[in-house]
Amino acid sequence: MAIKATQFEVHPSAGVPIYLQIIGQINAMIAGGHLNAGDMLPSVRQMATVLGVNAMTISKAYSKLEGDEVVERVRGKGMMVRKSVPAGSSRERMQELKPLMEQAIVHGRQLGLNNEQILAVVNKLLQEYQP
Amino acid sequence: MSNLIIQAENLHKQFQQTQVLTGLDLEINAGQVVGLLGTNGSGKTTFIKCILGLLKASSGTSSIFGQNSWDLDESAKAHLGYVSQDSALLPWMTVQSLTEYTGAFYAQWDQAYVNSLLKAWNLNETQRVGALSTGQRQKLSVILALGHHPELLVLDEPVASLDPVARRQFLQSLIEFTEDEDNTILFSTHITSDLERVASHVAFLDAGKLGFFGELDTLIHQVKRIRITAGQDLPHSLKLPGTLRSEINGNHALLAVKEFDVATLENLSHQFQATTTVEDLNLEEIFLELSGVSSQTEVETIQ
Repeated sequence: MAIKATQFEVHPSAGVPIYLQIIGQINAMIAGGHLNAGDMLPSVRQMATVLGVNAMTISKAYSKLEGDEVVERVRGKGMMVRKSVPAGSSRERMQELKPLMEQAIVHGRQLGLNNEQILAVVNKLLQEYQP
Repeated sequence: MSNLIIQAENLHKQFQQTQVLTGLDLEINAGQVVGLLGTNGSGKTTFIKCILGLLKASSGTSSIFGQNSWDLDESAKAHLGYVSQDSALLPWMTVQSLTEYTGAFYAQWDQAYVNSLLKAWNLNETQRVGALSTGQRQKLSVILALGHHPELLVLDEPVASLDPVARRQFLQSLIEFTEDEDNTILFSTHITSDLERVASHVAFLDAGKLGFFGELDTLIHQVKRIRITAGQDLPHSLKLPGTLRSEINGNHALLAVKEFDVATLENLSHQFQATTTVEDLNLEEIFLELSGVSSQTEVETIQ
């Protein structure tokens, strides 16, 4: 299943650099199972033309992803999604997740939700993002 | 050949009593797409005209492709495309004959490419130039500047009168232009969302000097608005590095900084038991903060 450049969206005036928006979307697609190991990313040129942004911005996003070992450059073909090998022990990785969960829980409390309601939201999302 | 395309050093320009450029330094390398920002009268057009040799600088030096701006030879001009704010086009010519006439001045004119742009931008080649609207004339000027496949494109507010459709087509042609990674663009505009799409770098002119020059992404990373609510009254100055604006009112503070740093902020929230929120800013908001539009209110609160 190949991903198309039209499936990306950029918001130039969001205050977040465009290359980070693209990196975020690719990571989300991988997390959500829409992009799998072996899938190719659209070419830099396609992305630049379809999204109407500078090709250098796309190259920058792809190079960062390559540096983070999320994708690899395949000679003559482009960028391919790699098999994900999470770094660090599971304890460390859980630690990394904690502050993000904390934010979500604080927000849930502010919205007056109880534990079950918050967990229901989490479970629903876990269903959507099957590994 | 070095890859320095535009170089200005301590550039001054004075019109009678008025100082417009007051010691401007700027270096632009091949492959950069530089957006030139600045309030009206900050010297954008004067700067562009000085580096192109259309105005003689009062003092300082400037060069393009390593040649003195005031003394550009034929080969430099053959690699240069320029669209001025008020392009004077010959009104009695038809669109088609004006493109051919312009092409006669260039050894490497690509009429087929020009015709394809005319078509893409919905310009009628049989129409007389004098009968075109301002927006259509701007489109034609941009096409004329692209026809000889320049390596450097200098655009002075090229899109001010274009409708959104034409602006997007214009951006698309800039993106095509930058597919050759050595091509360089310098363009001034007030439409910051266009810059956010295509610019790799931003140069910000402030009262005839360079206020900021750097990567657009870096700028967006570093300029932030911070809101602080502390458990106690805050001092009159929080002394954050690179403060652009600071409004402090009892235990609340609203700051804008240009060297945002998470560690400094964490120290601050420890020191005053404060909660802080950091707001991402887009280029337009950054432009406003850098121009100090809001800093007058700061003076009022202090008095």
